[in-house]
This record gives sequence, C-alpha cells and structure tokens, in this order.
Amino acid sequence: MESSYIIGSIIVATLATYATRIIPFLLFRTREPSPLIKYIELNMPLMIMVILVFYALKDVKWESYPYGLAEIIGVSVAIILHVKFKNALLSIFVATLTYMVLIQKVF
Amino acid sequence: MNFLAIFKLTIPVMMGYIPLGMAFGLLLSKLLIPWYYAFFMSVFIFAGSGQFLALTLFASQATILEIGIATFLLNLRHTFYGLSMISAFKDFSWKKNYLIFGLTDETFALLKTSDVPEANREKAYLWITFLNQCYWIIGSVVGALLGNILPFNYEGIEFSLTALFVVLSIELYKKNRLHKPFFVALIIGLFGMILFPPQKMLILSLCLAAFVLIVFKRSMENGK
Repeated sequence: MESSYIIGSIIVATLATYATRIIPFLLFRTREPSPLIKYIELNMPLMIMVILVFYALKDVKWESYPYGLAEIIGVSVAIILHVKFKNALLSIFVATLTYMVLIQKVF
Repeated sequence: MNFLAIFKLTIPVMMGYIPLGMAFGLLLSKLLIPWYYAFFMSVFIFAGSGQFLALTLFASQATILEIGIATFLLNLRHTFYGLSMISAFKDFSWKKNYLIFGLTDETFALLKTSDVPEANREKAYLWITFLNQCYWIIGSVVGALLGNILPFNYEGIEFSLTALFVVLSIELYKKNRLHKPFFVALIIGLFGMILFPPQKMLILSLCLAAFVLIVFKRSMENGK
C-alpha cells in the first residue's frame, strides 16, 4: 500500500470526522436546526450501521462452499450474545473468535 | 474534582477503548500497514468505528474521496452529539475546540451522564477527553506492535469489524424512536450486497437509504 494513499486517506478521514463534530457548533450557535435535519441526524446512523454490516459481508462467496456459513454463524453469535448479555466487548470478542476458529479449523 | 475522581470516571471507557483499540491495531498490522500509522490515525482521526471503516476501505482500495464521504456519513451521528453539547460548552474558552474534536460516542456518553460539578468543569471535561484519547492511542499502538511480533494466525480477525457493526446496529435500534428505518436499511443492505458492484456498494446503498429516508419521511414516522 502506497504511503501517500494512507496519508491522504488519514487527512481526509480526519477532516471528515472533525467536520461532523464541529458543524453543529458553527451552524446552530443561535438558531435551532430544522426538523428535517434533526430527523436525518436521528435516523441516518442506524441505517448506515445496518448497511455497513452488509458492506462488511460483500466479498463473501455465497454460491460456493462453505456458502458463507462462517459469516452467518459469526453474525448470529454476535446478535444472540448482544441481545442476551448487552455487553459489546463480549459479543464482538466471542463472535470473532468463533469466526476465526471456523475458517481456520473447520471449513 | 481531583484527578483521581476524574480518572475513576473514565475507567469504563478505558475498559472499552484498550481492547477495541488493540483489535484496530491488530487489523492494521494484518493489512501490512506500518504501526506508526495506528498512532497517527488514533491521534488525528480519533473515531472508533470511523478508523475501522478506513481499514476496510483501505483493504478494498477505495478512493480517497470515497473514504472521505463514507467517514463523514458514518460519523454524522456526532453532529447530534454536538447539538446537545452546545449549551454545555457555551462558556468555555478556546480549549473547547479539543472537546469538540474529541467528542466520540463514549466521551459524549460520559460527559452527558457524569455529574461533574460546575466549578472547574471545563478542566474536568478536558481531562476526561484527553484520558479517553490516551486509552484509545495506547490500545491501537499496542495492538499494531503485537500484530507484528506475535506468531499467531490472525486469519479472520477482520470479522471483529462485522461484529462491531452488528452490535452497534442493535444498540442504535434499541435507542431509535423509529424502527422502520432499520428494516428499510436491512432491505437496502441485502439488495445492495447482492446487486450493486462491490466497489460502489457502500456509496450507492447510503445514497439510496438517505433518499428513501427523506422521501418517505411521513410513512417512516407513522405507527413507529
């Protein structure tokens, strides 16, 4: 990977992240944000996060063995653990470990 | 508030940031990126899921523009945090710029929920934000260094990212007043994963989601 690519990406990601944090302080010092903006800000993150789950799975080969089974099991483990115990680190850790064992030792 | 009291407040964040930072560092070293970039990313970007996203995009050779747009959209939730901190930071000095820079999910949650006394509040907030960032930097650098040293088969560690997104989706689903956007995003995500070209999947799906969210605002808000 080119270092200019990494450095350029870091600069852009830094500015993009900082923009999301500074914008409300610049725009809404005096006036209230419109209901539409509030609505987008409230609901977009949930949609982005769900889409990111599928984005992270976009390179899975569903049509050939093992048919994405490791991913399906891994995601299921994360969902079940998180709904049951509500401990983010536990869910992430156990799901990742399960997935690693599956692709290294089983499939 | 003395330093010990402030430090105690940040312990829960430390318990989260150090392991998660390490996972980030391990993933970075697995992509054969030199460890010091873990340091720079955690110092300058300082966004948990944003940095994980950057790694995924690195791995799929996304363009710098795509990285910028995707990071902005992912971190859009931070504008909401900012909105509810405007009055809290109002009387602070120029140092509040660091507070704004460091307004991650965890720092926001801590500042919102902790009862920091009015006197010297700015200083306490600055320490909380700074300590949190230190935990994140330490975790990510240690992870990146360990990834180079430990002879361990890391194949599949990138799934921590998928699991993180799953967990955050559940958390946001529980917090969100409206639940329809969740199901719409499920359909768009599945549809996008199958039908869109992998390189453009994220941008296309996000635009489609924003479009549906705005155009169907009324039906989204109807009947939860």
